[in-house]
Amino acid sequence: MVESSLTASRRRAVVGETRHLLFSVTPGAAWITVFLVLPSLYLMAVAFMTNGPYGLPEMPLSLDAFRQLAGFGFLGWSPGNAYTLLRSLWQTFVSTALVVIVAYPLAYYITTCREKWRPLMLLAVVVPSWTNQVIRTFGWMNLLAPGTPLSDLAESLGLIGPHMGLYPSDFAVTLGLVYNFLPFMVLPLYAAFEKLDVAQVQAAQDLYASPVRAFWHAVFPQTLPGLLAGTVLVAIPAFGMYVIPELLGGGKSMMLGNLVARQFSGGSNWPLGAAGAILMLLATFVGLYAMRRIGRRLGGGEEVVI
Amino acid sequence: MRKRTLNRGLAGFWWLTLAFLYLPLAVVVLFSFNSVNSAAHFADVSLRWYHQLLGNAQILSAFRNSLILAIVSSVIALVIGCLIGYGMYRHRHRRLGWLIVLIYLPIVLPDIVFGISEMAFFVQINRATGLLEPGLGTMIIAHVTFQIPFVALIVYSRFVGLDPTLFEAAKDLYASPFKRALHFLIPTLKPALISAFFLSFTLSIDDFVISFFTAGPESATLPIYIWGAIKKGVTPEINAIASLMIGAVLLAALVSLLFNRPRRR
Repeated sequence: MVESSLTASRRRAVVGETRHLLFSVTPGAAWITVFLVLPSLYLMAVAFMTNGPYGLPEMPLSLDAFRQLAGFGFLGWSPGNAYTLLRSLWQTFVSTALVVIVAYPLAYYITTCREKWRPLMLLAVVVPSWTNQVIRTFGWMNLLAPGTPLSDLAESLGLIGPHMGLYPSDFAVTLGLVYNFLPFMVLPLYAAFEKLDVAQVQAAQDLYASPVRAFWHAVFPQTLPGLLAGTVLVAIPAFGMYVIPELLGGGKSMMLGNLVARQFSGGSNWPLGAAGAILMLLATFVGLYAMRRIGRRLGGGEEVVI
Repeated sequence: MRKRTLNRGLAGFWWLTLAFLYLPLAVVVLFSFNSVNSAAHFADVSLRWYHQLLGNAQILSAFRNSLILAIVSSVIALVIGCLIGYGMYRHRHRRLGWLIVLIYLPIVLPDIVFGISEMAFFVQINRATGLLEPGLGTMIIAHVTFQIPFVALIVYSRFVGLDPTLFEAAKDLYASPFKRALHFLIPTLKPALISAFFLSFTLSIDDFVISFFTAGPESATLPIYIWGAIKKGVTPEINAIASLMIGAVLLAALVSLLFNRPRRR
């Protein structure tokens, strides 16, 4: 008798907890499902439809969009889209590498400074990224336009032709990407440097390791989780970047994001745009997965965000 | 000795990078005081463009739209995100992997894919039913979608940092769940709620790509207006409005510095 009433009360508690779970989680889960999961699924479906006369997707299912993305059009194969894809990969690679080269010594330097200055220094690195992306990029347009001191300097050094200006160009896009993503690399690297185990470095020095070897074997592996986290935070959004190539690239330096966006505005070809978006999603998930795997193997898997 | 040269080199590098980070912003602010409309030639100091701002109805309406969008979306996201954060904490021992994936989705999805899929979806719903006309409404929906995860994660991590026995104590003290929320949950969450609201607000004000694709003809926000002006090449007042926005960010940074002063140990 006592036992059955106990199980009944326990069951009531379980039902109550489940009801609580549903009550608290449903609004948010439903919101994200309806307003993001369904739209993305719809977009993926669009990639497999045919382009209609008004740029809207129409029925017979086909792989036309992917064929077009690979460069096959009415007039046979053209390299335009392939160039855009390769340029996206190249820009992502170069800008991520440059960001690492700049952020690594910077993050180290911050940890060598006195403790009371460090929050201020980190804030100084982060504050520019709080301003609007469009405004930051506009600032670079003003700095790199023809006739500005920087452009004149590049011209007198013979780096660019007369009256060309440093923008619009691939160079301007790379610069904009590095500028935009630098803080995302500095923060995780700083976190890694801050909890660096100095004993390992001292041990290496005691064993007469050269500075280079000491760095390579005692310092670098310890900062690798931060480096990986930063790479995820930089490379993935850089690959899908829209604003910077659109403003600083000026049409000649399109990246995948611009190709996709263009299919939904002027040039209207939704299926092609959706196919490009799928490619971007694939890159995102492959990137996240790879970083997670590498992070796990290094033993610092928990450090890597997401 | 060698260590000192290294450190001096690093210090130089630090100041160079700082110059690199602030140069584009400084140029915008400098040329907002330029008396002529040129990005290459600074003629004279004047407040001409700031005066023009006040008379520009489009900029004023864009400013209003930005504010409405940020406030309304942050409030909605705060309520929904809080509930989800609390649910995640209280039921953290259950298998909630699907929920975690769902919550991280808006964060990991590239902006452009996020914006375009919502835009395509809204357009089709609108064609079929007449609902979800592109405008402030669709923008609010989109912004709430990317704000929810941040609110949920902030609230969740605040709960995780609490002593679990506090919940038992609250249960003993206050009989009704409502009173428990009023006297225990909301006061303990207050710092998390404030920072979640400000983060949502900042994310909304800062967003361009997602707003751009979900906006209607009448609902341009400040970044969208600035984008349009840059694209058309008509930029006299842009430096001025951009400078005001940069000023607001610097102010926010100052405030955050004052509030998060490192405590003495």
